[in-house]
Amino acid sequence: MTFSAVVARGLMRRPVRTGLTLVGISIGIAAVVALVGMSRGFVSSWTAGMKSRGTDIVIHNMRGSVTPKPFPAEARDRIAHLPGVAATCDILVELMSIEDSEMMIVSAREWGTYCWENLKLLAGRLPRDASERAVVLGKTAAETLRKQVGDTVQIETEELSVVGIADGGAVVENGSVILALPLLQEIMGSPDRINAIDVRVTSNMDEAGMNRLCAEFNRLIPEARAEAAGEHIRHSQGFRIINAMSWGTSSLAILVGVLGVMNTMLMTVFERKQEICILLALGWRRGRIVRMILWESALLGLLGGIVGVGLGTIGVHLLKNTAAIRGLLEPELSVKLMLMAVAIAIVVGVISGLYPAWRSSRLTPSAALQN
Amino acid sequence: MNEATSDRLTAATAVRVFEAVDLRKEYDDGQVHALRGVDFCISEGEFVAVVGPSGCGKTTLLQMLGALDRPSAGSLCYRGKSLETMRDPAAYRSREIGFIFQAFHLLPTFTAVENVQIPMFESHRPRRNRKTHARELLQAVGLEKRMNHFPAKMSGGERQRVAIARSLANDPSVLLADEPTGNLDSESAHYILDLLTTLHAERKMTFVLVTHDLSIARRASRVIQMKDGRIVFDGDPPSEVSTP
Repeated sequence: MTFSAVVARGLMRRPVRTGLTLVGISIGIAAVVALVGMSRGFVSSWTAGMKSRGTDIVIHNMRGSVTPKPFPAEARDRIAHLPGVAATCDILVELMSIEDSEMMIVSAREWGTYCWENLKLLAGRLPRDASERAVVLGKTAAETLRKQVGDTVQIETEELSVVGIADGGAVVENGSVILALPLLQEIMGSPDRINAIDVRVTSNMDEAGMNRLCAEFNRLIPEARAEAAGEHIRHSQGFRIINAMSWGTSSLAILVGVLGVMNTMLMTVFERKQEICILLALGWRRGRIVRMILWESALLGLLGGIVGVGLGTIGVHLLKNTAAIRGLLEPELSVKLMLMAVAIAIVVGVISGLYPAWRSSRLTPSAALQN
Repeated sequence: MNEATSDRLTAATAVRVFEAVDLRKEYDDGQVHALRGVDFCISEGEFVAVVGPSGCGKTTLLQMLGALDRPSAGSLCYRGKSLETMRDPAAYRSREIGFIFQAFHLLPTFTAVENVQIPMFESHRPRRNRKTHARELLQAVGLEKRMNHFPAKMSGGERQRVAIARSLANDPSVLLADEPTGNLDSESAHYILDLLTTLHAERKMTFVLVTHDLSIARRASRVIQMKDGRIVFDGDPPSEVSTP
């Protein structure tokens, strides 16, 4: 018989209580996996969207607010001529309710720029020019809105024709309603206003060169900020709020898990007081008793972590197909995140077991003879 | 010369296993005096029965001998070394002492053979040999067919036999038994006492048995009778059963 068998058998003394504690800790870990996976997926999905368009640098103004603030379209003229800039595209992107969909990305792009090149048409065509009152739907957006080529879609008060359905090569692109920039500026009542400039740099530029270019952009366009594609999301106020809420909620869930495990292990120590005294009387050292309690709580954490990762994964797959999220992001459930969640669960288990273990170490073996 | 007297004479020349001088134990800040100055020696291989009514201090004495508790005053030595100042009492209990309790105190979630292996975690015995040794010990107490049973599925006598096998797990030189037949019917009690007597004879262990039953004490080679925390008699066991 091994020491690990002793530890496992300790947990099996009260299978219902152990099971309920497992559920408690696994819900906390599931929250970590789901919420952190979603928030990380938010960044990676937008980064993938940028990469699919071939955008290397984004000039935006997202730092002070949840959504990017608009700035004059003429800002692009200040940087387009700079060496290292291969192409630019003025962007006006909004998150808005469209028909039955509560939240959808509406991505207006400067007509004729590289930002239209990644769209692989699955049906129909692209707008003929910047003035055609038409949209192209990403394939997920088309499914969500249940639209086909020839239908119309209402944005704010305007009815626009769906002329094409496209695969944009990324979740965010596929979940977007894509149209020419002047059209959305007109609908939003913001002529000559944009909230991002996508920049494609020359192919031979290294990271240092991009950093220098960003610095130059920031000098020339002080009302906005230039960052590598993806970084602008990571540094945005919106993402920071989402990230903070994810970890905040997860931490609360974990705290509940800690209290659950601690309660279970304390009950275990109280219930097994005489058993522990017997073990001491039989020659077990206090250190071995402490290790036994800590290993039990760590094992509880490990099992809770594994179950929690499973629950979190299932939860994320259910969430990503809900109407509110579909097409906005692809959750990032990396092996690293899962291992981190299990590690958190084990740490939670060990921390929860510290006080019960300390209590167990204070028991005296003489109680073994008190029948 | 009877057998008990012969044992006593042999013991007098043997190595002193325990030596207590003015041993005292107080509880509740001195309000309860469990031991009030006890002096005795126990030699290697002796079978000593400690008898007396409830509350006379015999279990407290057993706790002192097993280093489960420390005396309030006086001294208690094991093979010449003070138990009060012993650095590692757990190692002493593990390697030198085997405990048998009145209530058996087997771990309910472990089978008989697993219960016997519990003390071996603190021994130097290789892990691969533990199960084999536990099986041998269970065979020695006549439980070869009950090795994989849980305590809940065993009779009181069987549980006590498992507890006896467990007490022998690390080949101790001293066996301490606290009312080992107190929870058993008379038939099982006889079996257990015969078993303990045989084990004592075969293994040449020092055996200290606490009991309130003089008929059990008669099996010992020496009786220490206690009353109110003091030794009132120390000598050969009585030839007839009488109330102490």
